[in-house]
Amino acid sequence: MYEFEYHQPKSLEEATKLFADADDPQFMAGGQTIIPVMKQRLAMPSDIIDLGKISDLQGISVDGGALTIGAMTHHNEVAGSDEVRKAIPALAELASHIGDPAVRNRGTIGGSIANNDPAADYPAALVALGATVQTTSREIAAEDFFTAMFETALDEGEMIVNVTFPAPEKAAYEKFPNPASRYATTGVFVAKTGESVRVAVTGAGACVFRQIDFEKALLGDFSPSALDGLTVSTDGLNSDLHASAEYRANLISVLAKRAVKHAG
Amino acid sequence: MPVISLTVNGNPVTADVEPRWLLSRLLRDHLGLTGTHVGCDTSQCGACVIHVDGKPVKSCAMLAAQADGAQITTIEGLAQKGKLHPMQEAFRDNHALQCGFCTPGMVMMSVALATEQPDLDEPAVRKGLEGNLCRCTGYQNIINAVMVGAKAMRG
Amino acid sequence: MEKYGIGQPVRRKEDVRFLTGTGTYIDDIKPDNLIHAVVLRSPHAHAKILDLDTSEAETMPGVLCIVTGKDWVAEDFQPMPTKSAVNKKIDGTPLNQPPRHAIAIDRVRYVGEPVALIVAETLVQAQDAAEVVEVDYEELEAVTDQIKALEPGAPQIWDDIEGNFCIDFELGDKEGTGKAFETADHVVKLKLRNQCVTAAPIETRGAIASYDKDTGKYFLQNATQNVHANRDTFASVLKIPSEDLHHMAPDVGGGFGAKNSGYPEPSLLLYAAKKTDRPIKWIGDRNESFAADTHGRDQATTVEMALDKDGMFLGLRTRTVGNIGAYCWTVGPFTPTGGSARTQGGPYYIPAMHYTGIAAFTNTMPLDPYRGAGRPEGSFQIERIVELAARELGMDPVELRRKNLMPADSLPRKTPMGLDVDTGNFPEVFERTLKMSDRAGFAKRFEESARKGLRRGFAIAPYLECTGGGPKEFAGVKFGKDGSATLRVGSMSTGMGQETSMPQILSDTLGIDFEKITYVQGDTDATPIGGGHGGSRNMEVGGSAVLQCAREVLVKAKQLAAHLLNSNADDMELKESVFTDVKTDQNVSMADVVAASFDQSRLPDGMEAGALDTDTIFEREIISCPNGCHSAEVEVDPETGTVQVEHMWIVDDFGTIINPMLADGQVMGGVAQGLGQALMEEIVYDEDSGQLVTGSLMDYALPRADSMPKMEMAFYEDAPTAKNPLGVKGSGEAGCCGAPPAIVNAVLDALKEDGVTHIEMPLTPEKVWRAIQDAKQQGA
Repeated sequence: MYEFEYHQPKSLEEATKLFADADDPQFMAGGQTIIPVMKQRLAMPSDIIDLGKISDLQGISVDGGALTIGAMTHHNEVAGSDEVRKAIPALAELASHIGDPAVRNRGTIGGSIANNDPAADYPAALVALGATVQTTSREIAAEDFFTAMFETALDEGEMIVNVTFPAPEKAAYEKFPNPASRYATTGVFVAKTGESVRVAVTGAGACVFRQIDFEKALLGDFSPSALDGLTVSTDGLNSDLHASAEYRANLISVLAKRAVKHAG
Repeated sequence: MPVISLTVNGNPVTADVEPRWLLSRLLRDHLGLTGTHVGCDTSQCGACVIHVDGKPVKSCAMLAAQADGAQITTIEGLAQKGKLHPMQEAFRDNHALQCGFCTPGMVMMSVALATEQPDLDEPAVRKGLEGNLCRCTGYQNIINAVMVGAKAMRG
Repeated sequence: MEKYGIGQPVRRKEDVRFLTGTGTYIDDIKPDNLIHAVVLRSPHAHAKILDLDTSEAETMPGVLCIVTGKDWVAEDFQPMPTKSAVNKKIDGTPLNQPPRHAIAIDRVRYVGEPVALIVAETLVQAQDAAEVVEVDYEELEAVTDQIKALEPGAPQIWDDIEGNFCIDFELGDKEGTGKAFETADHVVKLKLRNQCVTAAPIETRGAIASYDKDTGKYFLQNATQNVHANRDTFASVLKIPSEDLHHMAPDVGGGFGAKNSGYPEPSLLLYAAKKTDRPIKWIGDRNESFAADTHGRDQATTVEMALDKDGMFLGLRTRTVGNIGAYCWTVGPFTPTGGSARTQGGPYYIPAMHYTGIAAFTNTMPLDPYRGAGRPEGSFQIERIVELAARELGMDPVELRRKNLMPADSLPRKTPMGLDVDTGNFPEVFERTLKMSDRAGFAKRFEESARKGLRRGFAIAPYLECTGGGPKEFAGVKFGKDGSATLRVGSMSTGMGQETSMPQILSDTLGIDFEKITYVQGDTDATPIGGGHGGSRNMEVGGSAVLQCAREVLVKAKQLAAHLLNSNADDMELKESVFTDVKTDQNVSMADVVAASFDQSRLPDGMEAGALDTDTIFEREIISCPNGCHSAEVEVDPETGTVQVEHMWIVDDFGTIINPMLADGQVMGGVAQGLGQALMEEIVYDEDSGQLVTGSLMDYALPRADSMPKMEMAFYEDAPTAKNPLGVKGSGEAGCCGAPPAIVNAVLDALKEDGVTHIEMPLTPEKVWRAIQDAKQQGA
């Protein structure tokens, strides 16, 4: 690892100031991505600003039909939270399949979505559930938040405060893990909320995306068979060591059907 | 260098740490607790799992500076007064280790699993060990040991 | 001592330190004044080194020494030797063996080849300096596939080795096999691969080297599984006498063959330790493990079988092309030639066999033995062709195997491959496995799977393999006045538990207290010779040496006991640690005999104090033949191609079982690595650039707890071998021989209605899914 300065601010204001004053700063949430990256000398920030001790970024709360999760909430907290399980069980389920138990004890929702790894799980949930990302300066709709591979709408120095998920009527996440890394080779989150159905796909493309034709088919008939006969185009899908675009296209269909079935 | 204070295996420790030191490095190189092993660079193998404030964590994916104020237990802190922890005993009884390199992380993760889910079943053990790789045993004896160890921990 | 005797599941001595974090692995050792090294490795698969400039790096903080190929040339250090038992081509000319230096001189031939060793006060300083070493490369075209490497016009890895050809080799009766094929009713042919894999022990390689300028001796602590042979290798490179290098292995975190090899790094470290006069540590990281640990398997094979109309095997013809990488490594081309040839045909009675093996150079990390070293490849080849034959002939694969197994009364027998099979009962082992496999319940489980939209399949795979490794082994025992004993052995455990099982043999034979036996291994100063670990030889050769040593002690102990009792040695019987005169019933304990051995006044003429201390060397004459049978039941998700191995049943004939708990452990560990090869593991290089694609655990999948099936094991113990005094056959590699064909054939059985007849390993979800799609299209 290269040298850097380490800071552990206690407030958002302090974190903002530290960021502004540093040469090439990097926010750190749970560190489960940035630490391995720095270990391999693939990143060399001048300053690491650890957000883990900022109380404004913690906690899970429910308000009416909406669930709000603080940016620094660990995956295991989401997975084990009674509020989450009650409001959006699919979200708890998703969190329980990120990485492994030790990683889930450090990794956070804020870190995950800010990193926007194309194979991360959370982006699918945010997009399918129509979540809103509250940052230090604004609210961003999930669909506008994830912009490209490893890129988000966040500006320099802007931090995620929390994410608010409207509770869906039905939802489920199906993940096909990469056998080596346990990231999603492909993951599909399906959510039905009132008159809307959303199908969000992660792991298959450069960035999370919605499978619009699936959504339309499910809108009239929220059942696996509604997706029969629909094929997924390989355009824009990833092709790598673990899965070709054709295979990922197949996974999208299979996982979407299973998610619909699972959602009930 | 940040000065941090933490508790390691029940003992108070104060250390000057470089920001770039991993927690595993603090434990191994500066506190002499070499039971915590490092087997990869990408958080897959789990040989470095320790408990931070009672929870299993990969100590190679955490900065030492982040452990300021933490209660840490490593494999060296598990046996009490020369008596093996029930999970360690179960690993020995069930031949759940061969080369021993993954063992500290495997045992620490298993203790955590059994603590969090006292009545865990076999599928839960298999899933719970998804972040711990063993190349020697084929896992079956580890799974058996965790079941036995968990039962012994329930008392 | 029954509790600790041969055949008892004694809990391991070494476990206490491993379980409490007090084991001592290489990275746990921290000598005073320690400095650190990193290896700068080639980023290119094939390139000329036009210039290598270390001037800026040398000025970096803390840098103490940088070693490059220039030093190697200036010092005239020697290439690392290769010892291949197969070293002549079919035409009688010697194999093509290019020089293998510990560091690149003027050209790099695989990604990861050492280019410079950077030594600094701290690891971080060494890493920093490594980044400013300037190497000017001229990239050359690379080839990483052995078939392509042998094609005309392929990039030439060695200027003076035409066509990247290392060696060809044949074994068996070419003409007779040809005739068998001419007269056969059926001929079945299959092209298949045993893909490139790697051992991936959880502890990566590492070493600490130091030099004592007062004595002129070097000291190397090394995560190796073979201290003696590697000492000789490093000494020959550095042109020093072997006795000037003390080589020790601390606790080693798994080896599986990959830590058997003679690697470049220790020679570089030893040289730098002398130059800097400081102990130097190098610990490879996981990326280095993938790039620069020897690889295994990697054979492209055509296998053909001739059968008569009743399905009796008439002939087997195998032609394999092995990828041995850029150099001949420790045993060079042995694995794809002699290593795979000997056990061709497995446990079947096949009258005529012929094997051709070719080894090719490519721009990849070289190949060396990995758990099984040729036998798993051979086992996979025969079991796949048998399965295909059953399919093509419309026969039940179980029945086809059953009728072709070598009958029990055909043993002892020398196979057409020259393998001397002395004892065993293959039909019995096969039937026991089948019986364990709950075939009666299969239909119900098949239906249950079908209801979930899943396929279920079953396959059985008997195997016959053989041991290997060095034939000689040392064992020595030294007693203490308190009845303690120190047992030194030249073979070595890297996790297999010989710290427990070797004392079991000593305790069982001599009735000495198991708890008082200290076990010493992996130290060139402690034993005059040693074969380390490889080829499942630990028990077979090392254990036999211990038994031989114990028996020699026993002869002397009986003499001494007889002297103490005023009787004859021939009348002494040792039982439960007590010598009793069978005629007079007088007795004396073994502990007392040991105590007396230190008291000159109690010793007979001709015996000196310490007379029971004994050193011995055992030599194996003929390799033994572990055999057994695996069966597997798998569930396949046809929509995703995911395979879950549900259950495996295994019966092994390892001859005498010293510690069944440890032998079971060897089987299950071997099965896991076999399952890894069958379903998920593969070293992949980019075809064009020669870059290593699977350079980390993010891309190279290892089996996890949830990948593994329930395993039920049993031993067939009625056929101990007479080839060694213990009667053991070796258990370490068997799991890797049986599991891949059992699993792969079970998957193909599950997909037989889909029309899938072959899928190359690893059977990743995508490959399985694709095979189903392709079969669908063909059927349409």
